[in-house]
Amino acid sequence: MGSLVLVVRLVLADVRRHRAQAAMLLLAVTIATATLALGLSLSGASRTLYEQTRAATAGPDVVALSGDTSPAVTSALSELAEAPEVAGHHGPYRIVYADLTTRGSVTSPVVVHGFAEKPGALNRPLVTSGQWVRSGGAVLERGFATALGVGVGDQVTIAGRPYPVVGIAVTAATSIYPWAAQIGPGGGPSDYTGLAWMTRQDARTLASSQDRPVTTAVDLKLRDPAATEAFREAHRDSDVRINFHSWQLNAEQDTVILRGTQPILVLGSWLLSFLAVTGVAALAAGRAVQQTRRAGLLKAVGATPGLIGAVLLTEYLAVALLADVLGLVIARLTVPVVASPTASRIGDIGGPSGPVIAATTLLAVAVAVLSALRPTLRALRTATVTALADTAHRPRRRPWLAALSALLPTPFLLGLRLTARRPGRAALQACSTATTLIALTGLLSLSAQPSRGYGLNGSSALPNLRDENAGHLLIAVSALLIALAVVNTITFTWTTAMEARTSMAIARALGATPGQVSAGLSIAQLLPCLPGTVIGVPLGIGVFSAFSARNAVLAPFSTMFIAALATLLVTVALTALPARLAARRSVAQALSAEAA
Amino acid sequence: MNESSAVVRVRGLVKEHGQGESRVRAVDEVDLEVPEGQMLAVMGPSGCGKSTLLHLLGGLERPTRGEVWLAGQRIDTLGERALARMRRRSVGFVFQAFHLVEELSAAENVELPALLAGRSLREARRRAGVLLERVGLAGRARHLPSELSGGQRQRVAIARALANQPLVVLADEPTGNLDSAATLDVLRIFEELRSAGQTLVIVTHDERVAATSDRLVSMRDGMFVDDTRLAGSHPRGLGGLIGLEG
Amino acid sequence: MQDAVLAMLAKEPSHGYVLRARLRQSLGPLGESMNPGQIYVTLSRLEKAGLVVCERADGLPERPDRKVYALTPAGQQRVTAWLTEVGWPKPDQAEFHLKLVAAAAARLADPVELVAAQRRELLRRLREVQQAILAEPAGSKALLLLEGVVLRLQADLRWLEACERAWSGADDPRVDDSRVDDSRADDLRANDLRADDRVEGA
Repeated sequence: MGSLVLVVRLVLADVRRHRAQAAMLLLAVTIATATLALGLSLSGASRTLYEQTRAATAGPDVVALSGDTSPAVTSALSELAEAPEVAGHHGPYRIVYADLTTRGSVTSPVVVHGFAEKPGALNRPLVTSGQWVRSGGAVLERGFATALGVGVGDQVTIAGRPYPVVGIAVTAATSIYPWAAQIGPGGGPSDYTGLAWMTRQDARTLASSQDRPVTTAVDLKLRDPAATEAFREAHRDSDVRINFHSWQLNAEQDTVILRGTQPILVLGSWLLSFLAVTGVAALAAGRAVQQTRRAGLLKAVGATPGLIGAVLLTEYLAVALLADVLGLVIARLTVPVVASPTASRIGDIGGPSGPVIAATTLLAVAVAVLSALRPTLRALRTATVTALADTAHRPRRRPWLAALSALLPTPFLLGLRLTARRPGRAALQACSTATTLIALTGLLSLSAQPSRGYGLNGSSALPNLRDENAGHLLIAVSALLIALAVVNTITFTWTTAMEARTSMAIARALGATPGQVSAGLSIAQLLPCLPGTVIGVPLGIGVFSAFSARNAVLAPFSTMFIAALATLLVTVALTALPARLAARRSVAQALSAEAA
Repeated sequence: MNESSAVVRVRGLVKEHGQGESRVRAVDEVDLEVPEGQMLAVMGPSGCGKSTLLHLLGGLERPTRGEVWLAGQRIDTLGERALARMRRRSVGFVFQAFHLVEELSAAENVELPALLAGRSLREARRRAGVLLERVGLAGRARHLPSELSGGQRQRVAIARALANQPLVVLADEPTGNLDSAATLDVLRIFEELRSAGQTLVIVTHDERVAATSDRLVSMRDGMFVDDTRLAGSHPRGLGGLIGLEG
Repeated sequence: MQDAVLAMLAKEPSHGYVLRARLRQSLGPLGESMNPGQIYVTLSRLEKAGLVVCERADGLPERPDRKVYALTPAGQQRVTAWLTEVGWPKPDQAEFHLKLVAAAAARLADPVELVAAQRRELLRRLREVQQAILAEPAGSKALLLLEGVVLRLQADLRWLEACERAWSGADDPRVDDSRVDDSRADDLRANDLRADDRVEGA
């Protein structure tokens, strides 16, 4: 019990003294867990929304559709409705293929469902505003209406005839916008299509007046809602060509809109975690001597290695777990926006599921352990007396490097030697840069993809929501990645500057100018960025190719080259300020602090 | 004293640390002239301002008031870059904590100032060899500082201070971390430098080091309280010191 | 000095000039100021006291530097006693201390100035010894003796520093109380006698 109190007290004291480090760990892990939780929650959230919409709209278990025009169709569909497995039905009803134009001249393909003015027991679209269909008035599906920017009271033109929009509704009988068509004319493939409802009479008029293609459909409710596949198997041998769309198929189709976003989020969360580890590890390394001395002090007063390890690990774990909770909350708040980019579904998404919580917690713990591992091991391994004597990390000697750097101009001489002092940090810096370039390459390549709009004939008057959603997320994730990389670079520079302050002060006493010293510090950061850039671009191309469609195109190499160059320039700019500040510090102070 | 013969000249030097209430005068209205070839020791209790004075002389700190002249050039008004150049050319520093670069060998440490001054590697290496020979460490040129004793490290540091043939060597407690045998080694080198005409300013609280110098200045609370010429006094026969005379 | 000469004869009988050379060697530069005849004065005193006997070398003309000296049993005993003796010269601080007290009490001189002058003197001496050390070849036995002198001088200089600190604060009116001064002077009078004893003994 006593040792528990001690651990808590030491952890609190340390966090209080090193707020910046705790804040950075918190921020980095929060971002990483939020992204991961979001990525893992998406498909579940989409399903939840579908099921809630299905419950609210008495969604059918199976929709049987036929694009044939023979008179046998109606009787064949009616026959299905009489099948013993069927508990109830709605229809047959007419689905008319047409196009819809708004006042703003946006044109989109549309399917018009002819429904009774008084909804039946099955497939009752939920009117979210306005009223249900009446003669001469159309109701638009909510996702479609939102994409068009149309509301109740607006006028739309369907197949050349004006209709007032009398209501907006949602349904679970079709997939979300833009996949409302289910099948195309004659049972063929369909284009991105929206959904509208009219009265049966209006639908018939629409179909006959312009000789529009028509599909006939019947909604079925099965005794066993799960047995949709068995029902399809049992009834596919018919004279008429019939397509069966089960509720499961619709739910699955809903998640297609997330196909681009999920890998971005999951992969992004791994990259973010990686940057979090590198940044926090660099900060921890900067405090290594101090930590080791603290561990030595604790050992000297009788603390066991176990207790010391516990203090160090607890500190990281506590912050990481807090960040985990924050990340889950953020994910919970953002899931509705990301998981349902169309307005076609209603309902509430519950809290994150067990597996998602487990995954993010695992991530948080992994980041904490990886970051704390080195300082903990070092603190445990160092003998008490050595730790108290505060012998700073003794850099290894690299004769060839000393000889090589002696040939270079002063800033390069200082920079190369600084880089060589801390090869581990140089590697971390390289990885950090590589990560940035992976994100940049992905971003550039995605922006280079041709995107087919949802408007008529692929017009981009109606944007491709799936690509847009993925694009926005990629921008967000990349921005977070780059932000963390920026923080890392500044941290690396500052840590290096602090560690090397005696060396730099000696160099100044021996006659190096502040400019040479700050240039040296910048070069020390820039050197490892070069291999990072060289590795990052091909890695980014690889990752992008692995997760994108087969026919995806890459951004032009010239663009990537510019991105790589820009990254290096930005790194120089970022290191300049901390390096300058460090170089301005009083030489006399740095030297006497070391002697004391 | 003739102005041109004074390597170091200081007029009304004041250095204050801190702000407002906690303001402390580390150096208080100090005047000093060190002629060429003189070995000057500055003694005083810790905190009397002697290290600050040394930092001011070497341009590592700037005075609050007063003038610092080095070889006829006023340095307290110089910019950081010019100060750095001045240090390269004219000043060699020796510190109590040696301040060698740990990952560089003895020879590479000695080469460092020459390389910073833009000399060629060949020239820097040649000079380092000569200097290490001079401090008796020619056999240890390839050793790392961690492989050397304290006295040897300080000798490397002295060799490094001499790398650019400075006008003045400024030493801050050069024997503070050394035992008496190592102190003697360092004093022997200083003595040799003195007889070669090197100007030296040594801050110390070790009476032995002070006694080796030509002139001793005592400092209290940032002020000079005594200025004694030790050189040139007539030797009185060492036997008298142990009661052998008479 | 007498004891040291006796002890040198304990190994074997020896010529006076050999003894002198050995002394010079052990003392290094500190022995340089030794009077050349001093060794013979000492030896003749020892001879009179019956601690050494003088044997003349055979067949050679009689000259002082041809004499060979040897220990008598009494001399032998004296050497043994000397070696086991643990007496140590007492430091000589009392006189200077009294000088400062007297100067301050009678306002004859500023004690701080006296300390400074004394310090300069000791530093000059230290410098001489220091230079002797630096001039001495490595491995010389005299180095150890010189080192001892340096350490003693260093100790004295540190004491002077303490004196300077104490007397710099003596302007403080509380210390300027005559009653305190008197009692302190009384205490020191007793020390004075002991110090005089020591001076004579040396």
